[in-house]
Amino acid sequence: MNILLYFLILMVGAYIGYKDNIKVLIKHAGEVQNYALFFLLLIMGIKIGLDKELVYSFGKIGFQGLILALFSIVFSVLGVKLVAKRLLKEKEQMENDL
Amino acid sequence: MTYKIILSVIFGILFGRFFFPVALAEYVGLLIDLGLCVLLFFVGIDIGKQKNIFFKIKKIGMKVLLVPLMIGIGSILGAMLGGFFLRIPLKEAGAVGAGFGWYSLSAIELSKHSSQLGTLAFVTNVIREVIALMSIPIIAKYIGKLESIAPAGATAMDTTLPVISKATDGSIAIISFITGVVLSTMVPILVPLIMSL
Repeated sequence: MNILLYFLILMVGAYIGYKDNIKVLIKHAGEVQNYALFFLLLIMGIKIGLDKELVYSFGKIGFQGLILALFSIVFSVLGVKLVAKRLLKEKEQMENDL
Repeated sequence: MTYKIILSVIFGILFGRFFFPVALAEYVGLLIDLGLCVLLFFVGIDIGKQKNIFFKIKKIGMKVLLVPLMIGIGSILGAMLGGFFLRIPLKEAGAVGAGFGWYSLSAIELSKHSSQLGTLAFVTNVIREVIALMSIPIIAKYIGKLESIAPAGATAMDTTLPVISKATDGSIAIISFITGVVLSTMVPILVPLIMSL
């Protein structure tokens, strides 16, 4: 349910951005996005703060986060490396067109 | 921006720890949902504003989508492997990896399941962005230009795009933007999807 709702909202936003006819909305898009983001992060922080046990386990989470981030990055780079040669042709052609 | 983000979270944690009335705790989930909808709507507007993006994708060919595909697979599998060593359930580690560096959204989505998982998603994806900012120029120089988009993940369309653009060239920057758009669109879909498996 949530997945569809998110996608729908993204698409409605994209359509409005594409049509570019509600200038006020588009002009302040970046600003509102920032406020929405800070609001969300604040609420998320409150949710973390309410959980006492969690606050005491930050040290452990930092280490876990570092390991997960490093593995994600290394495997992403390896993944792109697998297809890089195949894409190189397309890229050269595109550069000629630009 | 990064400082403001970290400050917002720290302020929220302190507020929640010492001042927030526990009686209101049950409404926190609803507030998260509302804020998220507003945020996604405006992210959509940002994507829609790039009018010729679909033309650009067509010009390079559909094969360009291999880049976000490989980054997506690599991020999720990598996080699962890391999670295996850390003894974190594979599903949870995979969902954290599917944040692709978009720490706010993945953390908010996963904090619905548990605050601990939300915090792990936040910390993991913040660290990913920081490592991306530092490693992109090095990867572009020693491994390959296309590969330098990989650490950026979903942030390849905004925060890390200037770094990629500087370290590579115009065409890689366009591929980077497209990659960021595709991965950003996938985060709100993949994170809950992996958790529901």
